Amino acid sequence: MTTKIIELGAHQLALEEPMYFRVKLEGDRVADLDVLPGQVHRGMEHLVMRRNLYQNITLLERLCSLCSNSHPSTFCAAVEEVAGIAIPERAEYLRAVADEIKRIASHLFCCAVQANAIGETPLFRRIMEVREIMQRAKEAIYGNRMDLAANVIGGVRYDLTPEAAAYLAGAMEEMKRPLDELYLQFGNNPALMARMAWVGVLPREAAVECAVVGPVARACGIDYDVRKKSPYGAYDRLKFEVPSQTAGDVRARNLVRLAEARQSVSLIEQCLAQLPAGPLCADNLPEIPAGEAIAKSEAPRGELMYYLRTDGSDFPVRLKWRVPSYMNWDALKVMLKGEPVGNIPLIVNSIDPCIACTDR
Amino acid sequence: MHIEVEETAVGPVRLFRINTGSCNGCDVELAVTSAVTEFDVEQLGCRYTESAHEADIVLITGPLTIRARDEVLRLYAQAPRDKVTVAVGVCPVSGGVFRDSYAVDGPIERHLPVDVNIPGCPPRPQALLAGIGAALEIRRARRDGEEPARNPDHRKHHGTDNFPARGRMSYDAKACVDCRMCRHVCAAGAIRFEAGDGGVRLTLWHNSCVFCGLCSHYCPTGALSVTGDWRLDHRAADAFTQIERGEVPYAPCTGCGEAIIPTAPQLLHAAFRRPNPEIEKLKNLCPACRQLMSIGVPRR
Repeated sequence: MTTKIIELGAHQLALEEPMYFRVKLEGDRVADLDVLPGQVHRGMEHLVMRRNLYQNITLLERLCSLCSNSHPSTFCAAVEEVAGIAIPERAEYLRAVADEIKRIASHLFCCAVQANAIGETPLFRRIMEVREIMQRAKEAIYGNRMDLAANVIGGVRYDLTPEAAAYLAGAMEEMKRPLDELYLQFGNNPALMARMAWVGVLPREAAVECAVVGPVARACGIDYDVRKKSPYGAYDRLKFEVPSQTAGDVRARNLVRLAEARQSVSLIEQCLAQLPAGPLCADNLPEIPAGEAIAKSEAPRGELMYYLRTDGSDFPVRLKWRVPSYMNWDALKVMLKGEPVGNIPLIVNSIDPCIACTDR
Repeated sequence: MHIEVEETAVGPVRLFRINTGSCNGCDVELAVTSAVTEFDVEQLGCRYTESAHEADIVLITGPLTIRARDEVLRLYAQAPRDKVTVAVGVCPVSGGVFRDSYAVDGPIERHLPVDVNIPGCPPRPQALLAGIGAALEIRRARRDGEEPARNPDHRKHHGTDNFPARGRMSYDAKACVDCRMCRHVCAAGAIRFEAGDGGVRLTLWHNSCVFCGLCSHYCPTGALSVTGDWRLDHRAADAFTQIERGEVPYAPCTGCGEAIIPTAPQLLHAAFRRPNPEIEKLKNLCPACRQLMSIGVPRR
């Protein structure tokens, strides 16, 4: 058998972002791979220290646009922890609404890109059309289709008027049928099964070893979800399930995502039903003292962790974050081993790699 | 061997996207213009290609990281010489929120010529289509051997059309009190204050602004507000005229005559709700004269 080394980039892998792999092939099968990261390295850890706490809300929202709400909300949670700010209950619910809206859109984008990667163009277009319901809702409520600008230190800076809440409730109603239908398709459609079932398998032990998180972990039977394990914001008052699968293949990851999107619809509906009256933001914010804090949240791709250290000025002394894709793309080595070259784009996309988050 | 191929009406114009290290917002929205019927670039007679050699129009996203630079320039060089280049989002033009980073080597114009800018963070698909339309104009004009018309007056001020999209910022100098909170919270450094002889001037550059609206959120008087005007595509040559500007004139303090920025009525209303004539008098006084009037002596 001949051994060959090839390099694959964004345009070969159908990725939105520049990510490069050096793949070692034996025959037409993957024997090993190296991720060549750094293309999207914008020096974020340096930049956050040169921006004050206000500016960082906007800067961090642009760490990655697919999980763009998780970053500022987790950052604000860390600042609030340092300063001992309790955010109003209404703000907790509104943060959850923003997070769940982004989760649905992000999961659907991931499923759409995979459909595209296996040449299922009509399905790709169908999922993107369904996702447009969320995109329209984001623009109608927040004024932007990607970066919501929902968070400020001490709360949120958008409100749901009764009309906006009714509109959002309508959009959620509109999402239910297509999400159920897509779940059945990804679960049972023979054409999708042929390409996705038993492909890119990550065994449970390997998943634990790689410490994968998010849908990638939950597709291997690890039911770790920050919203359940250490509830933050409004999540301790909301009812939801953590969908999981055991097969650990591409199909399982997508079923977890679609089931989660369905849970998110229910979460948003609960938020709308329970939304308490009150202020949007804590007033009389204190000065941010010197201190340090860790804040965690469940981003669409898994556990997102922020570490913040302040020195009493309004510039952070240190801001560090661990993003879910960092662990998940290490598991690609296991998933890809022995797979034919043609499956590389699908499997890479099946972990929903966020390169902007990881390279920062 | 070079073969002249006559362009036919049916051949689609090929779009090629280069991500130079973006947050993926613009890239995801460009994916929408390949997948969603309402925004499909096919309505403009375009189609995406994954091969740089076929590119008629190159779409560039991201602030150009140092790590991506060589690959970006290599891909760009592969595209045919008569391509039209479009900078998508504010990052390629100004660096957006990522400006001043050691890892960023923009603006992209230092490395390659840009024809059209589409400001936005990210631009909504309607704005992307408008910008791609502008690139098609340029392409057509160049093919016909004409100089493409500068500043074609096609800009419709849509107001908010169906949704209140966060568009261009608007500045009302009459309400401004020169507190500069807007500049303090702007992550992209899009706002500049200059003190001149006659007053203080604010300049906001739409090619740096990321349309987050934080300046307007923290503005105590509503001097800065978000408009629904998202149609901001323009020729790259006009990049630096895309600004919002206004001047707050100095007025003499009615007590001592020193040139001061008078308090805007909006701030008085915010502070006192219903200002009476006595309070109104405060607004044209400098801080020292104000203290003199209210507590009899200047503090300190």
